Amino acid sequence: MTTRPVDETPEERDELAGEYVLGTLSPERRTEVQQRLRDDSALRTAVDGWERRLLGLTDLAEPVTPSPPLWHRIERSLNASMPRSATAATAPPSWWNRLGLWRGFAGAGLAATLVLGTLLLTQATVKPTYLVVLVAPQDKAPGWVIQASNAREIQLIPLGVAQVPEDKALEFWTKAEGWQGPVSLGLVKPGQTLSVPLDKLPPLQPDQLFELTLENRTGSPIGKPTGPIQFIGRAVKVI
Amino acid sequence: MPDTLFDYEAHLLACGRGERQALRALYEQESPRLLGVARRLVRDNALAEDIVHDAFIKIWAGAARFDPTRGTARGWMYSVTRHLALNFLRDHSREIQGDIDLYRDAEAFDAQAHSSRIHRCLEQLEPARRDCILHAYVDGYSHAQISHKLGAPLGTVKAWIKRSLTALRECMG
Repeated sequence: MTTRPVDETPEERDELAGEYVLGTLSPERRTEVQQRLRDDSALRTAVDGWERRLLGLTDLAEPVTPSPPLWHRIERSLNASMPRSATAATAPPSWWNRLGLWRGFAGAGLAATLVLGTLLLTQATVKPTYLVVLVAPQDKAPGWVIQASNAREIQLIPLGVAQVPEDKALEFWTKAEGWQGPVSLGLVKPGQTLSVPLDKLPPLQPDQLFELTLENRTGSPIGKPTGPIQFIGRAVKVI
Repeated sequence: MPDTLFDYEAHLLACGRGERQALRALYEQESPRLLGVARRLVRDNALAEDIVHDAFIKIWAGAARFDPTRGTARGWMYSVTRHLALNFLRDHSREIQGDIDLYRDAEAFDAQAHSSRIHRCLEQLEPARRDCILHAYVDGYSHAQISHKLGAPLGTVKAWIKRSLTALRECMG
């Protein structure tokens, strides 16, 4: 946490606020201002003043018509990130709650799981207790497999190298029955094997959902999936 | 320029109550101008759409906490969008440095065409100092990029910006 320097004068504070709004602060000082804005009301007032003074300059940028899919992308992100209770009354059900979709995936996923599971079981020395095959939503092609030999750690193993645009990243998510929403397990590079400790999460459950979504390079800005699903599947207990 | 017949605040308050059609109305009303602002800053159409996408997610998520005593609803939407774009620019500054020569320059500043107070106050600044403010706010240039662009020493650019901000503050209150 950054605290306000004790000797900062109102003039210095106003200058910092002005350069923050103008955009000329270094990345470090920008971050510092953004942290201070959470609980420094004097700085917040100074920043608000500069936002108001300079707003008219936005007229100088020529308007650009958004491509038609942009609104649908925004809507999809909102559907994916809203808690179930709030969406129930007004909005169409989020994809997490669409049963038909899951039945489809589960069927495709199970078939692939059986094939791959058999393959893995015959080769692995440690017997996994859960297996998940993540398939592409469009063609159900398996892209990744998740294995867990205990309930506290999982391994995400690529079956190929996924194509990801240069300015995007794959983010790994999971959601079990009764959770409010998906939880991020971090970013993963195409072709990378990732070990994820699940020590902050409840133990794995049968049918727990896993997915990889396409997000900005630094991951979802809101802690919930915002981009399109690239791979998706459910955990199957291996006896 | 804000559309004076559109009630930005009422729509934002409706978003805060979970009314999705109010967000859609804000999007239809303002997305081309917000996208224009983001496009000018990040200089890439797809990236600018990513910024506007993230901005509308933030606008929806933050609508219930919007405080009208701190500024207008419309102004807040621009602040959210600009700071997402500026964060991106500063976080990727090494990758885009040197790019600015390739970028077509801003149109000549014409205060007549813009009625708001900031434009009249900017007109009173010396042209080089005015350019510093415009390149920073509108084009998202860093101190170093402005120095490179104007062919002025870095220290001079920093001093110009400081003094211009002070002058703008006096002019605008």
